[in-house]
Formats: sequence, structure tokens, C-alpha cells
Amino acid sequence: MSGAAASLPSGFEALEPFVAFWAVDSAAQRAHCRDVSDEASRAAFYDAAIGLIARALEYLDARPLGRFDASEQRLMRLALSFAHVSMAVELQRDQEPRHARDRPYMRITRAPADQPAG
Amino acid sequence: MNAQHQYQQSESDEALALGTDPVPAAPYYKDDYFDLEREAIFRRTWLNIGHACELPEAGSFIVRQFDFANASILITRGRDGIIRAFHNVCTHRGTQLTDETGGRQSAFTCRYHGWTFGHHGELRGAPDMQRFYVQQKDCGLRRVSVEVCAGLLFVNLDPSPRQSLREYLGALAAQLETQPVASATTFSEYVYEIDANWKLTYDNFQENYHLRFIHPRSGGGGAVGPDNQFGYPTRYAFYGEHRTQTIWTNPAPQLSATQKLAFGRLVPALMQRGMMNAEHGRDYFALFPNFFLIGSPTQHFTHFVMPISARRSRGVIRIYWVGDDMNASERFGREFSMAMLRDVHSEDRAVIEAGQRGLNSGALEHIHLQGQEVLIRHLMYHVDAKVRAYQSERAAAGARP
Repeated sequence: MSGAAASLPSGFEALEPFVAFWAVDSAAQRAHCRDVSDEASRAAFYDAAIGLIARALEYLDARPLGRFDASEQRLMRLALSFAHVSMAVELQRDQEPRHARDRPYMRITRAPADQPAG
Repeated sequence: MNAQHQYQQSESDEALALGTDPVPAAPYYKDDYFDLEREAIFRRTWLNIGHACELPEAGSFIVRQFDFANASILITRGRDGIIRAFHNVCTHRGTQLTDETGGRQSAFTCRYHGWTFGHHGELRGAPDMQRFYVQQKDCGLRRVSVEVCAGLLFVNLDPSPRQSLREYLGALAAQLETQPVASATTFSEYVYEIDANWKLTYDNFQENYHLRFIHPRSGGGGAVGPDNQFGYPTRYAFYGEHRTQTIWTNPAPQLSATQKLAFGRLVPALMQRGMMNAEHGRDYFALFPNFFLIGSPTQHFTHFVMPISARRSRGVIRIYWVGDDMNASERFGREFSMAMLRDVHSEDRAVIEAGQRGLNSGALEHIHLQGQEVLIRHLMYHVDAKVRAYQSERAAAGARP
């Protein structure tokens, strides 16, 4: 892990392996990552993040949105992708592959997280 | 007869007046019926197409397509702050004026011959205008009626609407104004196209009978539960062509770890904004013909189903929010709220298409509706009343000398 090393704030190193795939910059892309991921990669991300997500939000809440540095922005994006992947792991479970066939028809066109910081 | 469930409604006189017979299936797939609906309803009814927050300042504009009418509508906010709507059609030779879907610009110039229009629809100028046989002042964009209630933009394609929007909404206008949507500044949105009739699509969202079967995982058991397995609403009401219900609240919903986390993050932000005391938090407002709003503060969403043809429609779902994300927790809560709702609606879309495929076969002459599906019956009752009135109107016009 060369360029991606220390790409997250201190204390969140356990999430580094998931940055390249899951730290994407729009809600539509986050939904797409969930759609095309396999069960093992969703489980790995979920298992690594479930114990850190509350702490990540508290860490980020201490900083104004729109003034995140690059590492904080990555952590925010991972948290937002976790919102999507948790639906697969916690709720859809073994039905996720079937569900993933229908979901892309619901095309995300806007989300507050995608809007320019005010 | 079985004992009445504690949440089962006794049919009101108004509900019983709608009848209990099966409903004809043909209006849900036949082209000739859709042609009548287009003229009798969609070309002359107030239709929600957006929100005033999309036009935040003078010069803002949005463009909306109405496939059923082959119409493109340009909606602007002028320097005077007033929102106006026009056919997106250059008054020279009919060229569509802008290909953009929205934005902000000082004027609209037709790419064909350079005619330029302002936000009030006026023709500001045209190259070599003096060689035309018409006055510049008579060449403004063709106006379309647009009015606002609770921040929601409604357009009426009728050149002379028979009612104002407020008259049309009646008592519901004041109730809508109490909703968070009235002060919304932003929204999450997802859209879908579906091979299904607009009524069949919309009807899915008018009953809770399907929840336990179609959403056993994603639904979270919020509106069904051991005490109310079929999700009987706690109240129905009819307001002319419109209708409302109050969705039952499961006192002990089964929430996942992340649902608890996300709503636990979202609710404090909503409380800080004073949005958790919504009087109609479990209310469902269905405005004729194709729009509904759910009052829930954590998933405060609107949904309209716009017809494209007898067997194809487009749905737009928006979760409205008040204020920009105040922090990471609120941003996370809003993203989760959308992801969860989208899972639910994905399941709906798939089963609605299956229903349409079945009806298209012509195998069924009628659809059977039970007591809880009275809102579906109410919609069909008013659709058919409009269609019949239109047919009478046409017949009377044809009979005139």
C-alpha cells in the first residue's frame, strides 16, 4: 500500500484496505459499489467498520463539513458507503444477489452529500 | 365472518359509497382508456413536478418533461422573485429553447436563429426583427400555469385551469403547509422507469397489505407487526378526489444495528431543527391523480408517478430535508435514510411490473379489492368519473350545431 498509506485519520487504520474500492465520491457510485461487490468483500468491509463507524462520525462531527482534509474526506466517504453496505449485510443477507438485480433501476440523481459545501 | 381486527377500519359511509364490486381491469392496460385519461386528467390537472428550493434565486430555472403530452416546460424565477412556467418552445418556429435540465442564466437564446427570451417569458430581441410581420411584444413564450403550495411546484397544462391550486387542494393545502417539505431547502432523489400503468404503479403505495410479503427484510416492521400483520392503517379520510391515511406505528419495530445508529444520528439533528414534532408524522397525503407525501420526519418523502403510455411510467421519489447537512452524523443519517427507502422501492418496482405483465394478458376482467384497498378504489372511482365527464363534454361539443 504505497500511495494509499495513512490515507485515513489516525485511529482508523483498520479501514485502509477498503479505501480504494469504497471511498467513492457520489451516492450513485456508493450504491453501484454495493451492487457489484461480492459477499466476501461486503462482509470484510462491514466487519471492519461496524465497530468504528460511531467513532468515525464523532471524529468527523468535531470538524465542519466542507473543511475536511483529504484523509477526513475519505473517512466520510467510507462511512457513507457503509450506510449502503449495511443494508446488504444486516437486512438483505442471502437475498442480496437477487435484490441487486432490481436496485439499479432506481437511479440516484441527487443526495445532500453530493452537493457542494455551503 | 371473522372477528374484526383491532386496527381494522369499519367501512365508513363514504368508503361504502364507492361500492364493493370488483374493479374493471382494462383501464390498467388499454391504450384507448389511457388516451382518455391523458385528456380528461393529465392535461387539465395540477401536477407536482418539483420544489421551490430548486429555484433559489433570480435567474434560476428548471426544465421538466411531460412525455404524455410531448411537452417540455421551462420554469423560471424572475428578478421580481416570481416563479413562472412556459412551454420550452421558441415562438419563432417552435424549436425547443433549451436542452438544459436546470441551472441559472440571464436569458434563453434559441440556437436556431438567435431569438432571446427573458425570465418573464418576454422576447427581448430577435435578429432582423423588423422584417417580421408580427410585433416583438406579441412573441413572448407561451405561458403555463404554475402555483406553489408547501414549497411544492404544481403545473397545470390546461391553458385556462378550472380551479386555482388552493381551490383544488381544499382543506389539504393548510395541512401540507405544516409539513417539513414547506421549508425544505434540499432533497435526496432517485427516479425509475417502469413497464407498468401509472395507476397500477401508484396503487402499490396506497395499501399496506403487501408489506409483509414484499418487504419482509427492508421494511423494518415499522408499519406491520404481530399485533397488526396486515398493516391496517389507523385512519382513512377522503377529501374530494384526494385521500389520506394514518399509517399504523409498530411500538416495537425490529431495527438493525445500523438503522439504530443512523436514525440515532439523524433524530438529534431533526430535533435541533424543530422537525420532530410534525403533527402529521405518520400521515400519508395522496393528491389526485399521481402524487403522495409521507409526513415522517426521518423519511419525509414525496413520490409522483408520471404516465408515459398505457403501460409505461416514470416515478420520482424525493426525500426532502431542511437545511444543508449540519455535520457528518446528519450527512450519514440522510444517506442511510435514502439507501433504506431505495431498497424498499426496488422491491415494489419489481412486483408492480409482474402485476402489469399479468394484466396485459387480458386473463382478468376484474380486480378484487378488499377493505384496506379502499384508497385504490377511491382513485379509480375518481379517474373513471373524470373520464366519463370528459366523454360527456366531448359528446355535447360534438352535438352543437
